[in-house]
Amino acid sequence: MDRKENRTPQAEIARILVEFLEVAVTSVVFLKGVYPNGAFERRRYMNVVVHKARHPQLNEYIHSAVYGLLPFICKGLVDRVAVIFFDGGDVAIERFVFKINVNESYSSKVEQSQLEFSLRSFLIKLPVSEPLTKVLPRNCRWEITGYFRCLPEGSTSKDAEMWVPTDAKHWQQPPQITPIKSMSSEPLGLQLYLEQPSLSEPKN
Amino acid sequence: MRAYIIVNLFRNSSIHCTKMSANSDSKSKRSFKSMSSNPSSSGNNSGDGKSSSKKRKTAQKTLGMAWGANSRASSNSASRNSPFADFGSYMAVKNQKLHEQFDAAASSSSHSASTSGKSIFRGVSIFVDGYTVPSNQELRGYMLKYGGCFENYFSRHRVTHIICSNLPDSKIKNLRAFSGGLPVVKPAWLLDSVVANKLLSWIPYQLDQLGTEKDNQSKLSTFFTPKKDGVSESAEFLVDGQQIFENDNQSPSRVDSSFPEDNASLEQTDRFREELDDHSQLNINKPISEEPACSVESSYEVKGVELNDSPDLDEKNSDLKHKSSTFQASVSLSSSSLSIHNSTNPSSSRTKLAPNQGHSTLVDPNFVENYFKSSRLHFIGTWRNRYRKRFSSLSNGYRCKSSSLNTAVNENNSIIHIDMDCFFVAVVTRNYPELLDKPVAVCHSDNPRGTAEISSANYPARDHGVKAGMFVKDAKTRCPQLVIVPYDFGAYEKVADQFYDILHKHCQKVQAVSCDEAFLDVSESEVGDPQLLASVIRKEIFDTTGCTASAGIAGNMLMARLATKTAKPDGLCYIPPEKVDTYLSELPVKALPGIGHILEDKLKKKQIKTCAHLRAISKESLQKDFGMKTGEMLWNYSRGIDNRLVGLIQESKSIGAEVNWGVRFRNRNDTRHFLENLCKEVALRLQGCGVQGRSFTLKIKKKRGDAGEPVKYMGCGDCENLSHSITIPMATDDADVLKRLATQLFGYFHIDVEDIRGVGLQVSKLEGADDSKLVHKRNSILPWVVSTSSKDRDRNQPVQLSNHGDAGSSVDTGAASLPPLEDLDVAVIESLPPEVVSEINDMYGGKLLGFISENRRKTADTNLDAISSRSGEDLDASVEETESFSAVHLVESNTIAADNESGEVAPPSVAVPTSFSLKNLMPSSLSQVDRSVLQQLPEELRKDIIELLPQHREPEFVKGSSSNVINEEPEFESSELKDLWIGNPPKWVEKFKNSTCSILNTFAKMYHYGCGGCLSSLLQRMVSEIFPPIDAGADGFHDAVSWLCELFKQYIDLKIATDMEEIYCCIRLLRRLCGRSDIFIQVNNVILPHLQRLMGEEYGGTLSIPPL
Repeated sequence: MDRKENRTPQAEIARILVEFLEVAVTSVVFLKGVYPNGAFERRRYMNVVVHKARHPQLNEYIHSAVYGLLPFICKGLVDRVAVIFFDGGDVAIERFVFKINVNESYSSKVEQSQLEFSLRSFLIKLPVSEPLTKVLPRNCRWEITGYFRCLPEGSTSKDAEMWVPTDAKHWQQPPQITPIKSMSSEPLGLQLYLEQPSLSEPKN
Repeated sequence: MRAYIIVNLFRNSSIHCTKMSANSDSKSKRSFKSMSSNPSSSGNNSGDGKSSSKKRKTAQKTLGMAWGANSRASSNSASRNSPFADFGSYMAVKNQKLHEQFDAAASSSSHSASTSGKSIFRGVSIFVDGYTVPSNQELRGYMLKYGGCFENYFSRHRVTHIICSNLPDSKIKNLRAFSGGLPVVKPAWLLDSVVANKLLSWIPYQLDQLGTEKDNQSKLSTFFTPKKDGVSESAEFLVDGQQIFENDNQSPSRVDSSFPEDNASLEQTDRFREELDDHSQLNINKPISEEPACSVESSYEVKGVELNDSPDLDEKNSDLKHKSSTFQASVSLSSSSLSIHNSTNPSSSRTKLAPNQGHSTLVDPNFVENYFKSSRLHFIGTWRNRYRKRFSSLSNGYRCKSSSLNTAVNENNSIIHIDMDCFFVAVVTRNYPELLDKPVAVCHSDNPRGTAEISSANYPARDHGVKAGMFVKDAKTRCPQLVIVPYDFGAYEKVADQFYDILHKHCQKVQAVSCDEAFLDVSESEVGDPQLLASVIRKEIFDTTGCTASAGIAGNMLMARLATKTAKPDGLCYIPPEKVDTYLSELPVKALPGIGHILEDKLKKKQIKTCAHLRAISKESLQKDFGMKTGEMLWNYSRGIDNRLVGLIQESKSIGAEVNWGVRFRNRNDTRHFLENLCKEVALRLQGCGVQGRSFTLKIKKKRGDAGEPVKYMGCGDCENLSHSITIPMATDDADVLKRLATQLFGYFHIDVEDIRGVGLQVSKLEGADDSKLVHKRNSILPWVVSTSSKDRDRNQPVQLSNHGDAGSSVDTGAASLPPLEDLDVAVIESLPPEVVSEINDMYGGKLLGFISENRRKTADTNLDAISSRSGEDLDASVEETESFSAVHLVESNTIAADNESGEVAPPSVAVPTSFSLKNLMPSSLSQVDRSVLQQLPEELRKDIIELLPQHREPEFVKGSSSNVINEEPEFESSELKDLWIGNPPKWVEKFKNSTCSILNTFAKMYHYGCGGCLSSLLQRMVSEIFPPIDAGADGFHDAVSWLCELFKQYIDLKIATDMEEIYCCIRLLRRLCGRSDIFIQVNNVILPHLQRLMGEEYGGTLSIPPL
């Protein structure tokens, strides 16, 4: 309890956000049907029915990846977090992008309940956006990619070490963007949108 | 911006997690936590149990017991069945009885041993804590025998010394609470005293664990005083003691009042005695320098007397008051003598500070100043400037010579590199022959547990593995007998000066490397043999300074330096050219200058360890691997080639000050204050070097989020280094300007002030103060002063300005140089004394007065002149930044003053400022104004200037300050269309309501139906609303389209970054509305490209919009 009060609002925001992201990423993965539905179990989070991976490795992967971002989010380094689905090759089919905008100068106390109320709407909106998305081919894979505002200097903690710099894999044409949900509150702005290759994207 | 991407991938085909390590890691962490928590809690419990059971054991005579006697809480159970009212009274009776027993035993033992019964321990009352050898009963026996007292239970009032062999850590940490300020002494003190048959000083027997310093880190302040173990320490000691009673810093003179009881003052005198012992020790250790000797000694004398008296307890009790006051006197006396000492030694007097000096920015208002006074690095850094000033003529003279002689490096060159042996230690210890062979190190604090860093250690200490940069505690573990001495900057300065005096005496070409290290080029010296010369110099250095120096002689600087390494300590080494190869081949690469850890590691990886290895590699491949410069350096150095010439002085590129120790802030106010002082320091340094800078960099060390309090006391710990810089057009060394810039820079950081661990201000793009004056002439407003029409004439005026000192000459030129009447500034003339005015009037043949009155009339109507009259005062006074302003002002007042004094009017010099009339002063258009200058002007003034100037097409010119000032008459249309979404209700609502277009009216109506500021909900309502269709040709159609377009555009601009969803919603609703009216189709067509462009900018994609 004591620790909680000593935290900066940013750290508090980041904590809530990361917890949310873990659920949201799992929801996206569930939504896309990468794994059989049996691989998930129903849970209640923020009073919404969500799905949680049953497989410990999958669960751990999402958990560790997202929590590895925590220190960077605290520092306001993370611009976007994307869940990217690839076909058999290295071509992305679809990207679910969480655009994060933590108010670095926000200094008053973070109302967790209010923030969670706003975040909850993402979890409600996400399942209904399923028709917007494309059907994944067999043999697809997916990854979590973080887009940073600048490259973090050194690693700050053990968890963060799992994040390694990589090259961006971009479509040649600007993608089509479909907003799914946006929220902008004083402490935190978050947008979830879907990126799909534009129609003119050359097929390989 | 988003070029940096971090990926964490996961493949679908097999649930195979490559991050297992992290997984297990976190698990192990968790399990570790649970494991560690259990034993520790149980451990705590058992520990508690043990200690509580200990407390209950009355047989065990611990301090805990003694204090327990006073605490009611713990005594409840004990007192329940006892005949005493409570535990306290029981203890009182018990103590009384023990005393009686002791007295009885004492009298009997003194009878029996009356022969030896000299009461050497009279006045000493000991309390034995814990296990001792000999046992406490034996010690009690000694006390009985020799007239001392033995306390079974600790009492601050009765006990004078605590005897113990060992103390638990907790008691050491909390020593004051434990001992109440009483000395904690080893039992050997008693035994030795018995052997010596007199009471010895307990100081040498102080418990080792406590070391010499009582209070741990706060004692660092003693560093700030020149004689660290002197009076200031004891004064602080007092204040410390007092702070227990009152959380308030008070002067030592008030100590008396805080100890009203006799017992307390007894204790106090005891404490004084302790200090006095300190002093007497100091007296023994330190030969006193000559001038202050008498006063210092006299103060010691007083102490000596008191010291002899003090064992006489009875007498002491009788006139305690008197005594304590004399003690007080002695302390103050010694402090005054100390100040005498200081004043005789000007450099050390600088360092004298108030005794209870704080060590962080929190406590000490003069922190920055004190910090730099006591910084060794600062001493080294600023020494160069001192040196350059002192020997500037010499080195300058040489520089010319060297440039003329700048031919190929001669084979017969001989360079001497001379370096004092462990300068910082040697200078301090030269007066203490007894320390000669002992390990000695220089450090701020000699607290054996301290985290102060050793800055320099002598050779015996180095043999023990003591190195510079080590914490004192580590050094003490390696070498327990290490003697730590404080810095003596005054002596360093003196010795360095002597050192260079000698060098310059013997050689023309001297290149100073540091305060204790230099290169001499003796190729053309009259003394033929450089070895002879070097030994003469070395001898002279030793004779003059009392410190030894080592010298290396070789054909170039590199080899000379390496030779010195071999020569050290106190030696001489000559490497003749033919031996260079053999010398180098065995030399480890690390020994070469310019090869640090990183380069060494790189070389090691390539199996290059010695210069011979290095030589085997071609220059090209070295340059390929290590870069052009480093590669070449390695290649050259490994062959002993060094083409540098002695005497090339590198101009410093930047000047600054950085504080990374003791920086702690509570609030903005602290930082502001700190920055102010830092800027003062930097300004002083700039002025000291005679330079001004244009680029300013503020560096901040910010504590890393997860970093705790640093290991080093008040150190900076693990920090992020942040910096911001700013470049201004005109070089400055003014503290106020620096302060403003620093504050501005600080504002860019947006960090919690509590996280700041270090602040530095660096000034670069330096210009010589003299050069910069010339530059000023070019960059300053001065050229603006001249009107374009009279440029030719006025071009000369800056020169006149600077030469105003010889105003007489310009007077001589007579009326020819009289400026035209209309160039005179009326305001200036009006402020002149009447006689001067009349004299000027005479010179102008009486036209002046008429001119003035005419001008007054003008002033009345034009606001121009309102400013012009102010420009002389406000402008100049407030705009320190634009130095030309103030410079002119200065000149103006100077000349006037000078004129008044000489009683001679010099019209030309008066006339110069008169050309200040505003039309001339101002640039022809706003675009010519230096923006940074303008922005630093006060708001009011800026507004005036902007109003005054012909405007230019730069509406953002004074952005954020007074944008409305410039845009007095913008295009009507655009202002109408601007900021439609600003206000509550937004601006557009009113406009739409009054519009002739029914659709716009509907929009406004919808807003009032409660759609808030959300366009999508408004459109939602519009969709369900019935409104009359408008044809494309209808009246106001175009107006309506442009209004709506603007409405949408501005809404999109507003929301694009934060709320794409809303925009998406609006666009889809707009599409639905398109079926209802052509107007929306038009809007849609205009809006979409705009939106997609923004999407591309903001998100790197296009909004996917369903087809119509």
